[in-house]
Amino acid sequence: MIKIVIGGQLNKQAIEKLIKELGGSEVEVSVKSDLEAVMALKNKQVDYYVGACETGSGGALAMALALLGRDNCVTLASPSKVKNQEEILAEVASGKIAFGFTAPSSVSVLKALVPALLTK
Amino acid sequence: MDFSIIQLITIAALGSMGSILVNRGVAVFNDGLRPIVPEFLEGRITRKELAATSFALSFGLIIGFGIPLSIGATIIIAHSILLACDIIGIWSPDNKKGIIISGVVGAVYSIGVCLGLQFVVDLFDKLPINFLDSLSLVGTPIIIAFTVFPAVAVGYQHGFKKAVATASITFISYLLFARFGTFTISSYKIALSPEGMSLLFGMFMMVYFAVRVKGGNETTNSDLVNIFTERVNRIKKNRWLLAIMGGLVALVSAQMILAVDAMPQALINDGKYSEAAIATLARAIGFIPLVFSTAIVTGVYGLAGTTMVFVIGIIFREMPIVAFVVGAIVMYGEVMLLSVVTKSMDKLPGVREMGEHIRTSLADVLGMAILIGSAMAAEKIAPGMGFFWVMGFYLLNRLAKKPLVELAVGPVGVIALGILVNILHLFGLWSK
Repeated sequence: MIKIVIGGQLNKQAIEKLIKELGGSEVEVSVKSDLEAVMALKNKQVDYYVGACETGSGGALAMALALLGRDNCVTLASPSKVKNQEEILAEVASGKIAFGFTAPSSVSVLKALVPALLTK
Repeated sequence: MDFSIIQLITIAALGSMGSILVNRGVAVFNDGLRPIVPEFLEGRITRKELAATSFALSFGLIIGFGIPLSIGATIIIAHSILLACDIIGIWSPDNKKGIIISGVVGAVYSIGVCLGLQFVVDLFDKLPINFLDSLSLVGTPIIIAFTVFPAVAVGYQHGFKKAVATASITFISYLLFARFGTFTISSYKIALSPEGMSLLFGMFMMVYFAVRVKGGNETTNSDLVNIFTERVNRIKKNRWLLAIMGGLVALVSAQMILAVDAMPQALINDGKYSEAAIATLARAIGFIPLVFSTAIVTGVYGLAGTTMVFVIGIIFREMPIVAFVVGAIVMYGEVMLLSVVTKSMDKLPGVREMGEHIRTSLADVLGMAILIGSAMAAEKIAPGMGFFWVMGFYLLNRLAKKPLVELAVGPVGVIALGILVNILHLFGLWSK
């Protein structure tokens, strides 16, 4: 059972639905504002943070980067580059806990990310 | 798009000043880059890593969003210049020489963008099949569609029923002002624009619903301000530099060189200035929480602040010098009010959240409007094939390894189609 909080700013409801579909009963999802979501992760109330915005790093990861540091965060998809399944697996394996991506790439990123987090 | 010498001088001043502020780590435009800057300032990453990140974050948006949406428009999207300031400032060395280098490169680049866009337009104008007139159709849906964004934002935040209520009021006020908005009071003819007024009503509803959300005893924002006092002071220390930058942004906005986003850009293209001012204001309200909170935790401000200075520019477009002064005052005020406003968000959690929903709703409305506009433009260029082209372009882009920014897919597709029909024409495969 892992706990994922959705911060960022775009498509929160759609991301929530998608994670529930992908993770089923293995995942507990909550939706918060970006600041509260990061605080929840910092206070260890949740295990992972995901967020989407236009750039995959601005609204999606800004607060996470500021409060958790760059070592814990990674942009999985930016407007010019979407990471593939192997790259996402590698990021998860390296211990990242906050993930940002662009809204249009949500589906392809989450399809790789959620199983990767579950098998970790 | 023809630039006067004065306009080229001010845009050079803006590009120069912006790049220098980035070079000194005072401010950056990209909200995503802001949190990385202190990592460098405090020695956790090298200048090289910072430079690579700045390039990765901003380059795609410049060539995939700012520039293509500015081709053939009367006013350039600010990202084309301000995101480049991020890259130029950070790539220049971190010393006295770097200040000069970033200033010079920033100025040359900004003039280059203006002249480059002018050159591209002149070039397209010479093509046997002219598609520039059709290209202007891209912005048409935005001119009406933007008034629906408060209703969509209300829907994301408060649910379907309140969204329908807001949409209905927006719609009814549009009808009323379209029918009765022009009247005469003691020989003065007054014309209230239906788009502007209905947007104002929609925004009023949006703010009303947001203010009514009761806050608990949350102190998240106050905590942030307290933890990061030093970083807030760092921004305040740079208030004069930031004020000058704010003045310059207001000035280029007043001179109709830069618009903050595609929505005000389309409205200005159509000569709807007061609507553009209202739309820019609405956008700025959406960005205040994001810009303020990232500024507080990083000690690095935004090159255009909350982007409120763009509104000042549009309002004082007849008086550029006043725009500069008021813009500087507004930017100064933003910096000084940083802590107070952020702390007050604890009491108004609905307003902080509203920011997120405004940004989502703007992106959604804009995305759809530009896509439809692009399809219309493409259909005008190549009747029968236009819809096929733009929809195919849009959906296939999603599958691409290095996709374009969705907002830019339509316009890029239209330009590509315009060039393609000219090439086909060259080989006798396309008749006018």
